[in-house]
Amino acid sequence: MITQATMISQLFINSLIAGSIYSLMAIGFAIIYKTVKFFHFAHGIVYATGAYITYTFFQIHRFDFISSFILAVVSSGLLGLLIYQFVYRTLQVKKAPNLIYLLASFGVFIFIENIIALIYGNQILFMRPLAEASSYSFFGASITLTQIVIIVVSIATLLALWIFIEKTKLGLALKAVADDPQAAQLVGIDSVRLTQVAFFVGSVLAGVAGVLISLETNLSPTMGFPAIFKGIIASIIGGMGSIPGAVVGGFFLGFVENFGIWYIPSIWQDFISFTFLIVFLVLRPSGFFGVIPEKELI
Amino acid sequence: MEYELHLFIITGIFVILALSLNLVLGYLGQPALGHAAFFAIGAYTSSLLALNAGISPWIGLFIGASFAAISGMIIGHLTFHLKEDYFGLATFGFGLIIYSGINNLTDVTRGPMGLPGIPQFIAFTDLYNSLIFYCILILLFVLITIFLTRRIIYSPFGRVVQSIRDDELAAEALGKDTRQVKIMIFTIGAFFAGIAGSLYAHYITFIDPSSFNVMESILVVLMVILGGMGTIGGPIIGAAVLILFPEMLRFIGIPDAVAAPLRQMIYGFLLVILIIKRPQGLVGKYKLW
Repeated sequence: MITQATMISQLFINSLIAGSIYSLMAIGFAIIYKTVKFFHFAHGIVYATGAYITYTFFQIHRFDFISSFILAVVSSGLLGLLIYQFVYRTLQVKKAPNLIYLLASFGVFIFIENIIALIYGNQILFMRPLAEASSYSFFGASITLTQIVIIVVSIATLLALWIFIEKTKLGLALKAVADDPQAAQLVGIDSVRLTQVAFFVGSVLAGVAGVLISLETNLSPTMGFPAIFKGIIASIIGGMGSIPGAVVGGFFLGFVENFGIWYIPSIWQDFISFTFLIVFLVLRPSGFFGVIPEKELI
Repeated sequence: MEYELHLFIITGIFVILALSLNLVLGYLGQPALGHAAFFAIGAYTSSLLALNAGISPWIGLFIGASFAAISGMIIGHLTFHLKEDYFGLATFGFGLIIYSGINNLTDVTRGPMGLPGIPQFIAFTDLYNSLIFYCILILLFVLITIFLTRRIIYSPFGRVVQSIRDDELAAEALGKDTRQVKIMIFTIGAFFAGIAGSLYAHYITFIDPSSFNVMESILVVLMVILGGMGTIGGPIIGAAVLILFPEMLRFIGIPDAVAAPLRQMIYGFLLVILIIKRPQGLVGKYKLW
């Protein structure tokens, strides 16, 4: 029998998983946004690419899962770097306005999404490296090994990122460029090099998120679209460009979406998230922890 | 011959849609990325009125377009205080909300199953006559749209619209209420998109949410950019190229399963290349940046 307590703990687990993935997406997006101040919408396709590369190595070429995972994550980082180098860098040199980046980013997204569709077809693919059957009890609800792995790897990634940004020289330089590119240049930091670092690191996070989610659900060429949208919504809720804000926004969105189905049928989940987007944009564009002053947004 | 007539009609409908977006994107310079939403509102409003209340498509057309215009006005009021890329994101989000709404309100819209049996403007027994009728009707609406767009653009109001695009601060300094002007032109754009939607529904006689998804909004943006923003000819050429080009793929004999992603891949590529190399499009004079 499903008691209310079981139900709550089950929803709690689901929220935690959704929240981890959204946070990873939002942080990657935020790191890039903080550095370049434009919307990198194609971040979503980096996420899908991460999942498909893991699938290719693990399922088709029969590599072991850990190596496939590492290969995929590094390739995701490189893909982000390539997008920056070939598309955004050209636009930066010509000093394009923000809107131009957004449109170009949509173009990149659609382009790569359909390359994936051409290679792998539109059918849904599966990848299940972990024993499905092993599940554990968590306050009455059941949690599978896969779900534990998703949560643990997400939290480990978040910690590693925190150490990278706060404790390493490169991370601190990244923060400096994001806060004040001119001042950073004055003290001898190469801002183009640091932007490349931001794209690589941000895209690695998207790759991790993409691989993790495909352990639990399926792969489809269109998977990147909802992911980037949740990432952007989480970023805006948390405060555009704020990394702690992205984590809070991600988990907030995960919990709202999952506990929302107490009141509203689950098919309305996306509707709820998009409404949140509009509500935040209209009423509080700087989000909960806005680091970017409101006057820069409106 | 029927096939060519059909392509002419579909191109005409998208020309109206692209011209309506051009008012906002080309003349006002604001990135409205959810234009398919207004197309959808026009289509669903007049179809539902015709199916459930027996209201004639001729009247439904204007009710649908008015609904689209009212939604445009509300969205404009809510989002025109935002900077342009945030405005783009907000309108894109609005497009998603409308799409998700028609997909999920299954009691009203039948969701993904779509609405079949939408009545046509005039019921012909003969397909050929019906197509000829629609060709004339759509051509008429295209001409009306072009005429009104020109009237707006060359009016004093139209000059203010373009001055906002070129230098919003200067327009404000001259005492123009730029916010009001933006909302106005966005509302007019939504109205024409609603007309296009209603014409589409009453021609095809079947609509489902897939015709109004966010890719459709991006496709219309691409039509305007490809042809050339801020001109009348640009969106017409853009719409014609992007409607007729996929048909050519079909003629070369590429199977549908490959043609669909291939087409979209080319769209994505075109969007990036145009923006980097030729932001004024094929015939445009105005550069977005």
